Amino acid sequence: MLDAITKYLNTRGTPGEAGSMLWATIYILIITIGISLAVIAMNWLERKILAHMQIRLGPMRVGPHGLLQPFADALKLLIKEDIIPENADKLVFWSAPVVVTMTAFTTFLVVPFGREHAVTDMNIGILFMLGISSLGVLGIIMAGWSSNSHYPLMGSLRSSAQMVSYEVAMGLAIVCAVLMTSLQTGTGTLSMIGIVQAQAQQHTWFIFKFFPLGFLAFAIFAIAMVAETNRAPFDLPEAESELVAGFHTEYSGFRWSLFFLAEYAAMLAVSSIAVTLWLGGWMRPFPHWLHGPIWDLAFSFLPALTLLVLCELCLVGAARMPKIPQMKIQTIGLGLFGLLLGFAGLVLLLPGVRERVQDIYWFTVKIAFFMYLYIWYRGTFPRYRFDQLMKVGWKVLLPTGLGVLIATAIWGLLPQISSAILGVLP
Amino acid sequence: MSLSPLIRKILLVDLIKGLKVTFDYQKPSEAITEQYPLERPVVYERYRGLPRLKVDPEKGNSMCIVCNLCALACPEQLIVVKGERNPVTKRKEPVSWSYDLSRCMFCGLCAEACSTDALELTQDFEIAFYTREGMVLDQAALETGHEPKRYEK
Amino acid sequence: MSDFENDYRHAKSGQSGPGVVDYLDLDTKDQTYLDANELVLNMGPQHPSTHGVLRVILKLDGEKVLGTECIIGYLHRGVEKIAENRTYAMFNPYVDRMDYVAAVSNGLGYCEAVEKLLNTEAPPRAQYIRVILTELCRIASHQVWLGTHALDIGALTPLFYCFRDREEILRIFEKYCGARLTTHAFRIGGCIYETYDGFEQDCLKFCDAFLPKLDEYEELLTTNRIWVRRTKGVGILKPEDCIALGVTGPVLRAAGVKWDLRKAQPYECYSKFDFEVPTGLNGDTYDRYLVRIEEMRQSVRIIRQAVDGLPQGPIMAKIPKVLKPPVGEVYTSIEAPKGELGYFIVSDGSLQPYRLRVRPPSFVNLQALDKMVRGLLVADVVAVIGTLDIVLGEVDR
Repeated sequence: MLDAITKYLNTRGTPGEAGSMLWATIYILIITIGISLAVIAMNWLERKILAHMQIRLGPMRVGPHGLLQPFADALKLLIKEDIIPENADKLVFWSAPVVVTMTAFTTFLVVPFGREHAVTDMNIGILFMLGISSLGVLGIIMAGWSSNSHYPLMGSLRSSAQMVSYEVAMGLAIVCAVLMTSLQTGTGTLSMIGIVQAQAQQHTWFIFKFFPLGFLAFAIFAIAMVAETNRAPFDLPEAESELVAGFHTEYSGFRWSLFFLAEYAAMLAVSSIAVTLWLGGWMRPFPHWLHGPIWDLAFSFLPALTLLVLCELCLVGAARMPKIPQMKIQTIGLGLFGLLLGFAGLVLLLPGVRERVQDIYWFTVKIAFFMYLYIWYRGTFPRYRFDQLMKVGWKVLLPTGLGVLIATAIWGLLPQISSAILGVLP
Repeated sequence: MSLSPLIRKILLVDLIKGLKVTFDYQKPSEAITEQYPLERPVVYERYRGLPRLKVDPEKGNSMCIVCNLCALACPEQLIVVKGERNPVTKRKEPVSWSYDLSRCMFCGLCAEACSTDALELTQDFEIAFYTREGMVLDQAALETGHEPKRYEK
Repeated sequence: MSDFENDYRHAKSGQSGPGVVDYLDLDTKDQTYLDANELVLNMGPQHPSTHGVLRVILKLDGEKVLGTECIIGYLHRGVEKIAENRTYAMFNPYVDRMDYVAAVSNGLGYCEAVEKLLNTEAPPRAQYIRVILTELCRIASHQVWLGTHALDIGALTPLFYCFRDREEILRIFEKYCGARLTTHAFRIGGCIYETYDGFEQDCLKFCDAFLPKLDEYEELLTTNRIWVRRTKGVGILKPEDCIALGVTGPVLRAAGVKWDLRKAQPYECYSKFDFEVPTGLNGDTYDRYLVRIEEMRQSVRIIRQAVDGLPQGPIMAKIPKVLKPPVGEVYTSIEAPKGELGYFIVSDGSLQPYRLRVRPPSFVNLQALDKMVRGLLVADVVAVIGTLDIVLGEVDR
């Protein structure tokens, strides 16, 4: 037993490559807990950041600066009454949130948090992710149909139509990036780790490759992923101020929280696709130009530095709280939380931990950037009407995606084309 | 179409301008929320809040002379004053006062009509009561003002 | 039987009367009230987007709207009947509660009407103070409109920015007359409150701080392609239809008709100020948006001129304490933020008016809803209700 553990730890590879079921299970558990924690953090961050963009404060009472608000919300949802509409199809009603959540979580099997930090490295990784997230659309249709009410039905049909249309654009953008992986080695790869390694070999992130084509493909994917996850400005099916209140109208309590969890997990999943394909995955910025042990050392301090900065913010916030007896518990709580973060930051300074954490840290930072973009869009843009939404998906993104794909292919084959032409010329 | 609007359309300039506006407003110093029970709002002098019957500070008796002008001016007719003439000071003094706060719309006509400036609307806005009957104020309640009762289980 | 089914029965039997549903053309050939793919949808009184308790019944063909009917009256409080039992001065506080978003304008209209009945006028200083407060109120009302309209279309943040500006205006109101919303600022014959110390500085400070913020809202919305697509070409109302329906206010001006009561029939001291009346070209939602934004700018211009030219003098005209206007009737109207707000008072020489009728702008503008939404999608109905800028307190009184 013990030497099985040490044997795995000495190999450099994902549990999938090492063929170890035990470690794969452990990684799956860690990822599931991690996603749940990320969703909880996202809930708090979304409320606070959206509130600050709207010049208000957001939750402040439940826990210091509202830090315990997501837990309070989760607890409330768990203890709510479980209402099932009378004429609903009970089996489908029960299984719809299960389908949506399970597909959202299953996509994380191939997401590479680091060179050896993925559950498994399928050689069809990206195709797997795209396929499984398409299965999630089925769950939405099930939810709308089983509610036995025509508002959820209309909402779910609209939602699923939107998701399916934007998956086409997403697919085209993904194919552009996959094309770029074949530039140096001659063979492309669909595996997520392979795509990041191709970027490492070509010394550029694909977003900067063949400028502006890589950037255009990234932009198409960035817009399509917002529409895929039904977020603003494409959130008409779930907007409250329209007539149709969305496919999850009839769901309450825990079932609704599963939909919520699935939505945020899907956001994380498509963000991780974007990060892996265009933003270099787990690579730190400028690995090729700023190489060398000194630069590596400098960059390796960043995770600890981030946590220490957060710790300092917490302690400053605790110092600035009003000094009245009602706020004593909150001040102490915030101070303890800050000290916890500081302790974690100090742990990250240890040399052994420093290298292992690097990849995960950069991946998380890039995903956090996308989450911030999601919240920023929600705070800024009005909503598209449904027919305009479909027009954008089919008449703008699809032709642009096709054009970028063809242009990328031609640009990538330019050396061969030009040498063929030069060879033919006398 | 000339070049510049087309470039702006492709580069999503209008969307980015909007994003910049919301980004700039994010600093916590821009937040204008007042956290109510901890920070009280600033109420200005002329605010028409809870009514109050003034008491003459030197003599200690009420300044109201039961002229009934407030009761006549009130649109909702919720003031009922009864008084009797005091033989010593030759002034009318109020015997019973009744001000129904539940129907009051805080228009201030009663305070405007008062001939001795005895009735005024103060700046107190925290005037929640636990019972509907408690909202009918008598003379003692009008003179001393309203202490918010802390909730006891 | 619900009243909705009742309405159907009346329509079928050809009777006319209250509740007959004429607009929806429910009598189909085979007497089934609806063709196969048509749907009748009820945007009920409780709805996040109907700006109050408005009930709109939509007849839809899939997503397209074929006809609507508005059912109002959920907020009817009998204000006009109350007026018959109150003296003229006593009725003043009730007037604020009709268009509760822009309370000061209502007070202005009422005081104007009674002063016309009494054949007096407020002294110049009072007129200037009234104009300043009314224009501030116009900005406040348009801010509520902008915030809620943007919220209906999906932009969540302008609501909070607009209410922050409105907070400044309400603070000025509170400092001046003691209440933020139901201001009861004016009295018959003038104003009772003298301006407080720092009134002019507060107003000018507000004007200076407000214009850059208005530019920010324009940056957030006016050129935003999503906003333009949601509002351009939506809810077009042609000028002939506007005039035929009696629509006034920014809706009329956005259709192209340059009619503003402040210029056409000047009241108070508006003739002394130099300002422009913005008009639109197409009469769609985008034009109404632009017209109201420009109106806010012109209001700032008027406030600046009024504050600079504020004369000294009395603020209350000499009118008897007990008001018994001569027998007669009067109709006065002012340009409220939402349109032409009119008061028709019939006096029989006694302390209380014999009849007081209010012509609310929102009530008349709401009639244009049916014409504007035919052929639009369901999501646009919400935008159109928002762009008409209705306040149910006014519609129902």
